[in-house]
Amino acid sequence: MDFNLSKEQLLIQRMARDFAEKYIEPVAEQIDQENKIPEDILKGLAELDLFGIPFPEEYGGADGGYDGYVLAMEQIGKVSGGIAMTLSAHSLALSALSVFGTEEQKQKYMVPGCKGTDILSFAFTEPATGSDPKQITTTAVKDGDHYIINGTKRFISNANWPGAMILFATDDESGRPSGFIVDKNCEGYSISEPWDKMGMHGGMLLDVYMKDVKVPAKNLLAGPGMGYPILQLGISYGKVGVSSTALGGMVAAFEEGLKYAKEKMHRDKPISRFQSIQLKIADMAIKCEAARWLTYRLGYLANDVKDPRQFAKEAALTKTFVCETAVEVTRLAMDIHGSYGLMNDYKVSRMWRDVIIGPQIEGVADMQKMIVAGLTLAD
Amino acid sequence: MNIVVAMKQIPDLQQIRIRNRQPVLDNVPLTMGDIDKNALEAGVNLRDEHGGKVIVLSAGNEDVEDTVKEALAAGADEAFLVIDDSLDGAESGTIANVLATSVKQIEEPSLILFGEGSGDNYSGQVGSRVAEILNLPQVSFASSIEIKENQAVVTRVLEDGDEIVQVDLPAVVSVLANINEPRIPSVTQILKAGRKPMEVLELGELKVDAGKDLVITESNLAPETERKKVVVKSVDELIQALTTEGYVGR
Ligand SMILES: Cc1cc2nc3c(=O)[nH]c(=O)nc-3n(C[C@H](O)[C@H](O)[C@H](O)COP(=O)(O)OP(=O)(O)OC[C@H]3O[C@@H](n4cnc5c(N)ncnc54)[C@H](O)[C@@H]3O)c2cc1C
Repeated sequence: MDFNLSKEQLLIQRMARDFAEKYIEPVAEQIDQENKIPEDILKGLAELDLFGIPFPEEYGGADGGYDGYVLAMEQIGKVSGGIAMTLSAHSLALSALSVFGTEEQKQKYMVPGCKGTDILSFAFTEPATGSDPKQITTTAVKDGDHYIINGTKRFISNANWPGAMILFATDDESGRPSGFIVDKNCEGYSISEPWDKMGMHGGMLLDVYMKDVKVPAKNLLAGPGMGYPILQLGISYGKVGVSSTALGGMVAAFEEGLKYAKEKMHRDKPISRFQSIQLKIADMAIKCEAARWLTYRLGYLANDVKDPRQFAKEAALTKTFVCETAVEVTRLAMDIHGSYGLMNDYKVSRMWRDVIIGPQIEGVADMQKMIVAGLTLAD
Repeated sequence: MNIVVAMKQIPDLQQIRIRNRQPVLDNVPLTMGDIDKNALEAGVNLRDEHGGKVIVLSAGNEDVEDTVKEALAAGADEAFLVIDDSLDGAESGTIANVLATSVKQIEEPSLILFGEGSGDNYSGQVGSRVAEILNLPQVSFASSIEIKENQAVVTRVLEDGDEIVQVDLPAVVSVLANINEPRIPSVTQILKAGRKPMEVLELGELKVDAGKDLVITESNLAPETERKKVVVKSVDELIQALTTEGYVGR
C-alpha cells in the first residue's frame, strides 16, 4: 500500500491549483454574483485539458485517469463550486459516452467535448422525479430511421451550452427507458431561464423542453431499453466528480475556519486557544482527511471498473459520506466565525451555499444509502 | 538555435515548516525553482520564435530525474542530467564546474539561461561562474531577451535605470523573475513529459572534479558587540556626554 502521489499526479494537482488560485479565485466572487463563468476562464480550462482529463487521447481526452481527474477537480472545487459542477456534469455525460458509445458516436461527440468546444449534459430528472427511472414520462417514438422525442427535463446542468446531451426517454419499442444522444442545437429543443439556485453559481441549471425533437436512430446509446444500465454506471462515474467537488469545498471551508480561528482575537489572544475551537479544528481535520482518501480511492477505482454493481456501491458510499461531511465541516467553519460567517462578505457563507447542494444531486443521500444497503445485503 | 536552461532542484518552499527556528526539510517534496521557471519560459518563447530545441540542464541527486519533468511539461524538449548524491546541496563552484562541463557536451548551444539566483539560496553565482569557465559573455538581471541574427539584445534592470546590452552568441544570460509569467502546463503536457528524451550521466562519467569544499553559513547576522551605555536625563546632559565622547564639538 502506498499513499504517495506520483510526480505526474502532483503536477496535475499543482496545475489545477495554480490555475484556480491565479485565475479563478480573483473572479470567484463575481461568478457567484453574476451566475456566469467568464469566457477566458472557460478557455483556460480547455487549454489545460480540464474538460477531458480521464478520457482517451483518441477521443480528444488527456488520458490522465480518474485519479488525475479527482486531484484537479478538488482544486477547482476549492475556489468555485459552480465551475466544478459544470465540469462534473459534463464529464458524467462523457463517461457514459465513453463506456456505451459506438466508435462513430465517440468520435463525433466526445472529441469536441474533451476539447472544451462543447459542454455536455446528462438529462434524467423530470418534474415528477429525480430518483425513479420507472416514472419518467419523456417518450421516444420510432419513426423510420429516426426517433421523435417529446417531454420535459428538469434541473439539467449545462443545458444552455452547445454540445451533446445524453437524454433518457421511454422508447415505444422496448417500453423501457433508453439513452439517446441529442444535439442541444436541434430543432424542437428549447430551454427555460436558469434556475435561481442558492449556490454553485456559474453552474447553469435549466429545464429542457422537447417538442417533436427528431433524433437519428443511430444516436440511440447502447440499444433499446438500455437506459437503466447507462444511468446506473454513468451516475456512478458522475459521483467521482461530485465527491471531488465536495472535497474541494470542505477543504476550502476548513482553511477559512482555521484562518479565522488564528486571526480573531479575544482578550488579545486568538480564539484558537479556546478548547472548544480546538475541538472544531480537530473535527474538521479528521473529516477532511477521511473524505480526501475516500475520494482519491474512488478515482483510483474508476480507472478500471470490472464490476459495475460493486463500483455503484463504492461510488454511492463515497458520495454520501463526502457530500454530507462537506456540509458538517463547513458548518463547523461557520460556527468558528460566529455571526460573521452568516454575512455574505465572508467567504465561508458562499462555501455553505455551495456545499449544501452536494447531498441532493446525482442521487439524493437517502437513495445512496438504499444502494449501499441493497448491495451490502446481496453480497 | 539550441537553448540550454539550467534548473536547480529545491525543496518546495511552500511546504517547509519551521520547528525550533530551523526549517524542517524531511519529506518536503522537491520542485523546480521559481526563477528557473522564468528562465525556461524565456527559452521556450525564443525557441517558438526562432526554432531549435530547449535543453534543460540540471545537476543533483537522483530525484532530479523526476523533478525535471516539470521543465519538460512546461515546454523543454530534452533534458541533460548529471546525478550524484554529492551534488545535493553542493556549493556554487562545484555546480558551475559540472554544468559548464555538461554544456560542452550539448550540441551547439547559442544561449545558456539561468535564473538570477536559485529559489533556496539565491547566491546568484552559478551563471557567472559558468560563463567564466566557458569563456562566454554574460548578461545578468535580464528583463527581456531578443535574438537578432547572431546576437542577443538584452534589457538589464539596474538600480538607477535600464541598460540595453547587445552581445554575441553564444552567451550566458541570467533572468529576473519579472521577465515573464511562466505557463501552466496542461494535463497532456504533464503526462508526456516523462517520455521526452533524457540524457542521464553519473557524475563519474562526466570527468569533472566536483570538489568537496562545501561552505555552511550558520548565521548571516552581524556578531553581537558590547556597546557602551550612557544614560542621560536632559538634552544638556546629552550634549555634554556626546562632547565628552568626541562626537560633537570637535
Ligand atoms: C445543482 C444541481 C444540478 C443538477 N444537475 C442535474 C443534471 O445534470 N441532470 C439531471 O438529470 N438532474 C440534475 N439535477 C437534479 C437532481 O439530480 C435531482 O433533483 C435529484 O436526483 C433528486 O430528485 P428530486 O429532486 O426529483 O427528488 P425526488 O426524487 O422527488 O426525491 C424527494 C425525496 O424523496 C425521497 N425518495 C424518492 N424516492 C424514494 C424511494 N423510492 N424510497 C425512499 N425515498 C425516496 C428522496 O430520497 C428525497 O429525499 C441537478 C440538481 C441540482 C440541484
